[in-house]
Amino acid sequence: MRIITRSGLGKCGLWRHVPTSLLLVAAIALLAGGLYPADSQDSERELAIVLAEDDGPTANAGGNQNVTKGAIVTLNGSGSMGFEGAGNLNFTWNITFSNRTAGTQLADLYGMNQTIHANQTGVYTIRLNVTDSLNRTGSDTIYIIVTEPPKTFLEKNWLSLIILGVLLLIGGVYLRRAIRNLRAGLPMITEAGQEKIKLTVKKTRKIMKQLVKNRMGILGIIILIAFGIMAVIGPSVAGDVKTQSEDPSTMRQKPSEDHWLGTDNYGIDILDELFYGARTSMVVGVVSAIIASFLGAAVGLYSGYVGGWKDEVVMRANDVVLSIPWLVLMIIVAAMLGEIDLTGIILIIGLTGWSYTARLVRAQVLSIKERQYIERARSIGASDLNIIGRHIFPNTFPMIFANTILTVAVSILSEATLSFLHLRPVGEVTWGTMLSFASDNSAFENGLHWWILAPGLCIVVVVLGFTLLGYALDDILNPKLRHR
Amino acid sequence: MASRKTFRRILTRRLVNVVITIFGIMVLNFFLIHFMPGDPVQNIVPRGNKYDESIRWALYEKFHLNDSLPEQLAWYLWNTISLDWGTSYILNRSVSSIIFQDMRWTALLVGTSTFIMILLGVAIGALSAYRRGSAFDVGATSISLFFYGMPVFWMALILQALFTTHPLGMSWWPQLPPSGYYDSDRYGHLAWNLPVILSILKYLILPATVLAVGSLAGVSLVMRSALVDTMTEDFILTARAKGLTDYGVLRHHALPNGMPPMIALIAMDIAFIIGGAYQVEYVFNYPGIGFRTIDAIGALDFPILQFIVVVGGIAVVVANFIADMLLYYVDPRIKIS
Repeated sequence: MRIITRSGLGKCGLWRHVPTSLLLVAAIALLAGGLYPADSQDSERELAIVLAEDDGPTANAGGNQNVTKGAIVTLNGSGSMGFEGAGNLNFTWNITFSNRTAGTQLADLYGMNQTIHANQTGVYTIRLNVTDSLNRTGSDTIYIIVTEPPKTFLEKNWLSLIILGVLLLIGGVYLRRAIRNLRAGLPMITEAGQEKIKLTVKKTRKIMKQLVKNRMGILGIIILIAFGIMAVIGPSVAGDVKTQSEDPSTMRQKPSEDHWLGTDNYGIDILDELFYGARTSMVVGVVSAIIASFLGAAVGLYSGYVGGWKDEVVMRANDVVLSIPWLVLMIIVAAMLGEIDLTGIILIIGLTGWSYTARLVRAQVLSIKERQYIERARSIGASDLNIIGRHIFPNTFPMIFANTILTVAVSILSEATLSFLHLRPVGEVTWGTMLSFASDNSAFENGLHWWILAPGLCIVVVVLGFTLLGYALDDILNPKLRHR
Repeated sequence: MASRKTFRRILTRRLVNVVITIFGIMVLNFFLIHFMPGDPVQNIVPRGNKYDESIRWALYEKFHLNDSLPEQLAWYLWNTISLDWGTSYILNRSVSSIIFQDMRWTALLVGTSTFIMILLGVAIGALSAYRRGSAFDVGATSISLFFYGMPVFWMALILQALFTTHPLGMSWWPQLPPSGYYDSDRYGHLAWNLPVILSILKYLILPATVLAVGSLAGVSLVMRSALVDTMTEDFILTARAKGLTDYGVLRHHALPNGMPPMIALIAMDIAFIIGGAYQVEYVFNYPGIGFRTIDAIGALDFPILQFIVVVGGIAVVVANFIADMLLYYVDPRIKIS
C-alpha cells in the first residue's frame, strides 16, 4: 500500500533542486530549438498540398466494450489508407486508464492488435492513431468499461448467512430441548421456567422504562433508528455510485433539484453516495465492534477466571496492545495487509480494538468470582466451563453489551480515519472514503462543500447516537460500576 | 514510615511493569513490521542493469535482513537498547536523529493542546457542574457531545478551510496558515529568534486548537460529573455553612475531588491524543511523528516505522506511569494494588 502524501514536494527537499532543474530545462530547450529545422522542405510541402484532397487514413478501433474485471481484452485495430501510394500504416494506441483508487495511468502501445489485461475496475479510454508514411493521421476513440464481476451468492449474502446460521443454531438448541422434554414426558415449561420468564419480562420492562426516562438514551435511539433505516434501504435507493461519469458536464455540480447535494469530481451524486455509504459504514462499525467485544470478552473471562501467572501474562500482553497508540497500531496492520477490502477493514478494526474490553471484563470477573453462588456451583461439582458459561458470563453480559455499543462508535470513527489516511477499502464507498476522496480533490477549494460536510456530519451524528445509547445503557445496566 | 515503605513497593512494582510492557512493545513491533508486504531493498534499489546484485546484498547485510528471524530479533533488541536505530532506507539519515527531530514538533503540538484542553475542560466542566441545569450547562454539554463524536481530521479540514478564506466576504476574518510549521519562505532556515518563534506559535494555533477541542469533550464531561457528585456531599454543605464564598467552595473543596478522575482520564486519553495528533499533522503538513509515519508507510521505510511505534508506545507507558504516581499523591485514599 503506497500512501501519497500531500506535500511530498516540500518534505523531500525537492525545492533545493529547482534552480538546477530550471537551468537544465532551459539548456535543453535552447539545444532543441537550435537543432529543429526552421522550415520544412519545399518538395514535401507540395506533396502535402496534392494529398490534401483526400482525408488521409481512417482508423477503426473496434467499438466500445463492456467487460468484467479479470478479462483479457483484445483490441483489433484496422485502418484504411486514403490512397494507395501512402505506404504502410503505423498503429499507435494511446491508452488512458482511470479509476478512483488508481487515479489516471497512461500507456502507449504500438502495433495493430493488442491485448489488455483488465485487472482493475475502471474505464479505459483508448485512442487508436493511424499514421501513414506521409505522416497523415486518422484516429478513433473507444471506451472499455471494466466492472466488478457479478457477485456470487455467497459473496453477496455472507453476513446474512452467518446471522441466519446463528439464529438456526439457537432455534435448534431450543427445539432439541423441547423434543427431549416431550419424549421424556416432562411438561414443556416447568414452573421454575415460567417464573424465570416472568422475571425476565419484568426486568426487561423495567430497563425499557428507565431507558425511556433517560432523555439522552431516547435521543440516541431515535438517531439510530433513523440511520438504521437509511442503512437498510440506502443502497437500493441510491443510484449507481461506483461508475464514474465520462461526461464532464455532470461533474462538480452545485446543489440543484436533480442533485440535492451536488455531484463530486467523478460525476457521482453526493446524496446517493451518502445513502450507499450508510450501510457500509454501519456494517463496518457494528461487525468490527462485535468481533472486538467477542475477543475482549473471551480474553477477559479467561484471564480473570484463571488468575495466577496466566492472568499476569495475558494482562501484560494486553497492556502492550493498549499502550501502542490506537491509530498507529491500526495503520501499521492495515499497511501490512496491503490492498484491503471491506472485510479486511472490519478485521483490522476488530482485531486491534479488543484490549480495553478485555480489561473491563476481567475486572468484573474478578469481583464476580468471589461471590458465594460461584462457590456453591463449584461445590456441587460444576465444571469451569459451566461456571463461566452459566454464572459468570450472564453477569458480565450487560456490561459487555453496553460496551459493545460504545465500541461501535469508536469503530465507525476508526474506519473513517483509516480511509482518510488512504488505507481505504478497495472498490467500496463508505463515509470515510467519501471524505478521503473529497480532501484529495480539495473539495473546499472547488466549492464542493457538501462533499466534505455531509459525510462528516453523518459520522458525527451516528457516533453520537451510539455513544448516547451506550452511556444510557451503561447507567441503567450497571449503576455501580462506573462512577461518572 | 509504613506508608513510605508501601509507596516504595508500589513504585518498584510499577517500574517492573513498565519495563516488561516496553519490552513487549518492542517484540510486538518487530513481528508486526516484519510481516509487512514488499521487499524494502527492492524498493530503494532501482531496477535496471546499472545496479547490480552487490548493492542489494550490501543493503541486506547492513540491515541484517539475511539472518534468521531470531537473530534479527536479537539484533533489533540490542540496537534498540543501545539507541543505534540504524539508517532510514529512504532519507539516508540516522533514524534516531530523524525521530528526535520530529518528536520535538509532536511534543510541542501535543503539549500545547493538552494544556489548552485541561484549562478549558476544567473551566467548562466546573462551571457547568456549578450551574447545573442552566442554559450554559445544557449548551456546553451538548456542544461537548457533538465534538466528542467528531472525527479529528474532519474538524481539521473544516477549520483549515475556514481560516484560509473569508467566509461570507468578511474582510476582517482572521487568516491562519494552512500548513507547515513556520514561515519558511520568509525566515529561511530554522533559527531561534523572536520572529521565528512567533511564526511557529502562529502556525501552531490551528493544529493545537483542533487537537484540544477534539478531546476537550471527555475532560469537561468527566469534570462535570465528578463535581456534580461531589457537590451533593455533606462536607460541601459544611463548607457553605462555614460561610465560604461559592468560589471558595468550588476552588478549595470541590475541585480537588474532581482531580483524580481527570488524571486517570487524561492518562487513558494520551494514546488517543497521539492518534489524533497523527491526523492533525497529516492535514496541516506539520512535520511531526505522524506525518513521518505516513511517509514511511508509503516508502516501506522499516527502521523509521519500527521506532516510531516504539517511541509512541513508550510515551504512552511513561505517561500512564506518571499519572499513576500523580494519582497516588493527589488522592491518598487510593491504594494502588
